[in-house]
Amino acid sequence: PRPDVDALPPGTHLLFAQSGRIEHIPLEGYDMKKDGAKAVLHLPEKVIIGVAYDCVEKMVYWTEITSPSISRASIQGGEPTAIIRSDMDSPEGIAIDHLGRTMFWTDSVKDRIEVASLDGSQRRVIVNSDLVNPRAIITDPTSGNLYWADWNRDAPKIETSYMDGSNRRVLVKDDLGLPNGLTYDSQSSLLCWADAGTHKLECMNPARGDRSKVLEGIQYPFGMTTFGKNIYYTDWRRDAVVAVDRYTGREADEFQPQKRTKLYGIATAYAQCPSGNKPVVRSPYSSGPTNPDS
Amino acid sequence: DATQGTSGDCQPCPCPAGATCAVVPKTREVVCTNCPAGTTGKRCELCDDGFFGDPLGQSGPVRACRACKCSDNIDPNAVGNCNRETGECLKCIYNTDGFFCDRCKEGFYGNALAANPADKCKSCSCSPLGTVDQQTGCSQVTGQCQCLPNVAERDCSACQPGFFNLQSGNGCERCNCNPIGSTN
Repeated sequence: PRPDVDALPPGTHLLFAQSGRIEHIPLEGYDMKKDGAKAVLHLPEKVIIGVAYDCVEKMVYWTEITSPSISRASIQGGEPTAIIRSDMDSPEGIAIDHLGRTMFWTDSVKDRIEVASLDGSQRRVIVNSDLVNPRAIITDPTSGNLYWADWNRDAPKIETSYMDGSNRRVLVKDDLGLPNGLTYDSQSSLLCWADAGTHKLECMNPARGDRSKVLEGIQYPFGMTTFGKNIYYTDWRRDAVVAVDRYTGREADEFQPQKRTKLYGIATAYAQCPSGNKPVVRSPYSSGPTNPDS
Repeated sequence: DATQGTSGDCQPCPCPAGATCAVVPKTREVVCTNCPAGTTGKRCELCDDGFFGDPLGQSGPVRACRACKCSDNIDPNAVGNCNRETGECLKCIYNTDGFFCDRCKEGFYGNALAANPADKCKSCSCSPLGTVDQQTGCSQVTGQCQCLPNVAERDCSACQPGFFNLQSGNGCERCNCNPIGSTN
């Protein structure tokens, strides 16, 4: 394996973080091509938590907690570049709005959600109240909605807002434990989460509010992503990426890297940006940029 | 670099037994790629997240990686719970603080090491009227707030017997009742 950025072949891949590296698994249809799995990036001194992918510029973005920062690199081969390095304590989840060209992240120590342009400029705090342990965050660029989960042991919840933090609402608060993973499938309009407390994988249509269980008895989910019929999550007990068929509610496959240590964030690196309906553009800057220190 | 044509082209990986290594093409730096369980870093010199130690003994004796030692005052679902080398706890919960989450944080008192989280650290809740400079901190152990003159109670919320006017904010004043005409 090469320790710097290794260009990915065309096609759709899963990208996930494991102990100082970002690895990829090529997808063939929805199946993991496990023998094609290898490291994309080696950052041996870092602890990478969140991973996100920008399908437009084909860049991978990640959060890192040893020297709290957000960095990015081209998956076609390129140097990792830090884009945000100041005023962060524990950046965890990261999400990209490929249409709006912005990124969103959670900070579990500062207890807030922030947004910035993909180059790190125009940074702004959009949520800074009623957060205890915010972790997973995702965007639905087509509808202009943001979703995040807070695993606060006293009152876990899944929330939504517009991309400027306005119209904030709690979507789920009952029968949650540790909702670590969150993903949104634009084709089916389903928001799905993986819970390390209730050990369930569940979905809901955020507009309708109907909730359905996909799978019970999962072990310890951390990160989560979706592609077509499958949900893929990383598991802290199994040290593996697990594929689950959303429609049959059955585990489809598992990939366990050679190195046995915790897996963190996971993202789908699409061959092409997902096509959707005409987007509702809701800028996070609608009420003017503010300084994150203010 | 196997293309130089000398017997020294290939050198053993500078990594612990079992680990493989690779050369970064641009910088020619050698990095270990499959460190032994629980370790990571360029030379497998670091512990995984949630563990601390000095597996290669780079800054003293070898200390094998072990789980963060934070007095049961961290949450296993959190990331980055302790410094990977020193073990300093970074995400104390239950209102605890300190290198090992072994004391109450500022503004709280009690026993950070109590078994039951409800018995750990309680808020000082000093009464602003009776406390010196309206301080919010108190004694770590007893929870005693620093009271103004002639003010009583742990939280400085009452006058001592024979004193009145806590509301003054300067401490309590002597009642000066005539002993002959008073009931006590």
